[in-house]
Amino acid sequence: MSGLSPRQWTGLALLAALAIALPFAFEPRGYGIRILCLALLFAAMAQAWNIVAGLANQISLGHAAFFGIGAYTSTLLLIHFGITPWLGMFAAAILGGAAALLISLPTMRLRGHYFALATLAFGEVMRVIGNSWGGLTGGPVGISVPFAQPSLALMQFRETRSSYWLMLAALVVVTLVFVAIKRSRLGYRLRAIKENADAAEVIGVDTTRTKIIAAVISGALTAALGTLYAQFQFFFDPDTVFGVASVSVRMAMIAIVGGIGTAAGPILGALFVIPLEEFANQVFSAQAAGLSQLVFGLLLILVILIEPRGFMAIGPRLQRLLRKGDRR
Amino acid sequence: MIGGVYAVISIGLTLVFGVMGIVNFAQAEFLMLGMFVAYYAWAWLGLDPLLAAPLAFVVVFLLGAAIQRVLIRRVLKAPEVAQIFLTVGLLIVLENAALLMFGSGFRSVSTPYQTSSLQLGPLFISVPYLAAFAMSVASGLALWLFLKSSWFGRAMRATAQDPMAARLMGIDADRMHMLAFALGVGLTAFGGAVILPYLTASPTVGTQFAVLMFTVVVLGGLGSVAGAVVGGLAVGIIQSLSALVFPIQLQNLVLFVVFIAVLAFRPKGMLGAAR
Amino acid sequence: MTAALLEVSGVGKRFGGLQALSDVSLSVAAGEIVGLIGPNGAGKTTLFSTLVGLHRPESGSIWLGGRDLVGLKPHRIAAAGMVKTFQNVALFLDSSVLDNVLTGGLMRHSIPAARDLARRCLERVGIDSIADKLARDLSFPERARVEVARALCTEPRILLLDEAMAALNHAEMDAFMALLRQLREEGLTLVVVEHHMRAIMALCDRLVVLNFGQMIATGTPEQIARDPAVVEAYLGRSAA
Ligand SMILES: Nc1ncnc2c1ncn2[C@@H]1O[C@H](COP(=O)(O)OP(=O)(O)OP(=O)(O)O)[C@@H](O)[C@H]1O
Ligand SMILES: [Mg+2]
Repeated sequence: MSGLSPRQWTGLALLAALAIALPFAFEPRGYGIRILCLALLFAAMAQAWNIVAGLANQISLGHAAFFGIGAYTSTLLLIHFGITPWLGMFAAAILGGAAALLISLPTMRLRGHYFALATLAFGEVMRVIGNSWGGLTGGPVGISVPFAQPSLALMQFRETRSSYWLMLAALVVVTLVFVAIKRSRLGYRLRAIKENADAAEVIGVDTTRTKIIAAVISGALTAALGTLYAQFQFFFDPDTVFGVASVSVRMAMIAIVGGIGTAAGPILGALFVIPLEEFANQVFSAQAAGLSQLVFGLLLILVILIEPRGFMAIGPRLQRLLRKGDRR
Repeated sequence: MIGGVYAVISIGLTLVFGVMGIVNFAQAEFLMLGMFVAYYAWAWLGLDPLLAAPLAFVVVFLLGAAIQRVLIRRVLKAPEVAQIFLTVGLLIVLENAALLMFGSGFRSVSTPYQTSSLQLGPLFISVPYLAAFAMSVASGLALWLFLKSSWFGRAMRATAQDPMAARLMGIDADRMHMLAFALGVGLTAFGGAVILPYLTASPTVGTQFAVLMFTVVVLGGLGSVAGAVVGGLAVGIIQSLSALVFPIQLQNLVLFVVFIAVLAFRPKGMLGAAR
Repeated sequence: MTAALLEVSGVGKRFGGLQALSDVSLSVAAGEIVGLIGPNGAGKTTLFSTLVGLHRPESGSIWLGGRDLVGLKPHRIAAAGMVKTFQNVALFLDSSVLDNVLTGGLMRHSIPAARDLARRCLERVGIDSIADKLARDLSFPERARVEVARALCTEPRILLLDEAMAALNHAEMDAFMALLRQLREEGLTLVVVEHHMRAIMALCDRLVVLNFGQMIATGTPEQIARDPAVVEAYLGRSAA
């Protein structure tokens, strides 16, 4: 767990420069850069999911609950009180963390399939509430973020490029949080819980508290990202932001495709999955509804059957293969 | 009474978990498939959905056997993440494949008894409900007899309890898993066919039933067939009661809350305390 | 004898229809090495698990240094200073040996301090050479020793060892016993479950014998070796 070598630092710096400069290669208001924005946002979301699922192996299927809470919190604060989304984002994070605490308390003793079921239901509870509490959320018809003069203060931009940098910053922040947790005492404890919860308790790990802390951090970050989503799309409805397939499963899938429990996994996963999905949407949706979703599902199944540890495991696997080849 | 139907469609889910230890998130999609088999049997062959139910069972049974063989078998020893997301992927694939094949429209059948009802004293009971209930009870009993008395049934229970020991006794665990999965999804499809006379089929109908099925199964205790029956009845009652108090959208909310509460406080189910 | 560090009285634990422990009482003084013996299935592991809070007893009390532990979660009991090793070995398999042991130190220390402590614990148990191996890749005897090092790294007052010597050869066992004596010199109190009679007799100040969940005898190794009830428990009725 030592720091990075000078060569790795250089690589990282180059990568950062490339990531920052990338939007200039795209048409400023084109489709490509929007997809890139979404990919970064979903990478950050998958990274937030990775904190509980990847480190503690608590497989949540309900992170859409926090995401939706975040999207609605900042939007409603903006509509009703004119509060800037920057503050709204903090309020969202606080509410998202509180929601995570609320659902963690009864479900933290659950493991594996049981935990997945309970979180799935929690996400659905939020979706039903979002749809039926029309007075607050606008109900199934959705809600629009009021347009204003593009300004940084209101987190609305003339150029998609600026949104891109915002998403990039968000991804960097969430990834840094992930890495910091992974290397901290919290990270060691989460890993101990994942690998043997009883043994962890016996040698002094407060497993309940540890899992709740991780869940709250993850929920708060996811909610903050919900705010970014709202400010980026300007319009959303409960079925989108609280959706199982559209949010919860997608976050998870991106992390899994890239490599669950690793910092680079969600990023690789998002850069692969989101453009692919958009591409499938464009190519197929003219012909038949559902085809791109079908591709999405097939991809998930394929990844799980071929390499459930995702892209991140393919490198080492190839190396091993090559080494074997050498020996022969 | 609707609880009887819930029980049957959920027994399949509990069977799969009981024998293989896997929660099949895609289970409700097989209900949808069952509905469509029955619908096309009616549209093309003029078969009554109640008579088409065995056909739905057979078709989905075979499909289930194939899915178990090609997909599920490979993750039985894999980490839970893999198990969970394999069936989640299956859910997405089945739902969207149905969307492609059948279109997004709602389809319903018309039967002569659709709107008729029987009078039993002060109660009016609609015939399609009664028929669905009767068919459910019949199939539930058939399954129970099968598990209880046939060699397959006993072998399957042995596999559920201890796969290693079962293997030593000469039971092919692979075959048993295949049978359990096929039987489980087949039964759920059977339930789907049976409810077609009073519901409409659509590719997304599974989603409506997914939570319901999970609630039934969790109430009764994952893996317990008797529990699924009790859970089915309980959910039927919860639904009827909450219908009196809450508007229709919130009824599902009540189910969800019951579901989370049961998971949190009695993860082994209401009957699970004895074990 | 000084005042008891661990005072167990009237502890009972059932698993469904099986009374795994009934009315078990024992006390362990600070600095003692107590051996817990009994035939397979006697309830030794169950007693350890109950002591560290993995099982909650239906009856009885467990006092450690003047504090009642019943109902506390295992991590609270670990913080109070009582830790056990797992007979069936419960390591963090996908972590390195060093990280396994280090995790034990996190209860009281920062990561760097815990890492130093973990290195010392590995050295003491004689496995510092495998610090960077993955726990998954270890042999069974190696794993058992990592268990011990990890427990030591929590800096316990009293350590419960569940067949930690099971897979050791004679020389290793002698070295291990020397380590335990050394630890005792440093103030650690030990309760050891072991089937190896030679080791138990040589090591322990006092023995407690469990059979079918009940305590049937307690005394010095010499007393126990002559106790007819113990001989009967081990050899069966016919031999008595
Ligand atoms: N979690 C459990 N649930 C049900 N029964 C249990 C459980 N743990 C132990 N038992 C039973 O309790 C009894 C005591 O078991 P325990 O493991 O404590 O014995 P032991 O003295 O450690 O035996 P050994 O020398 O084989 O390690 C046994 O009959 C065992 O089958
Ligand atoms: Mg034992």
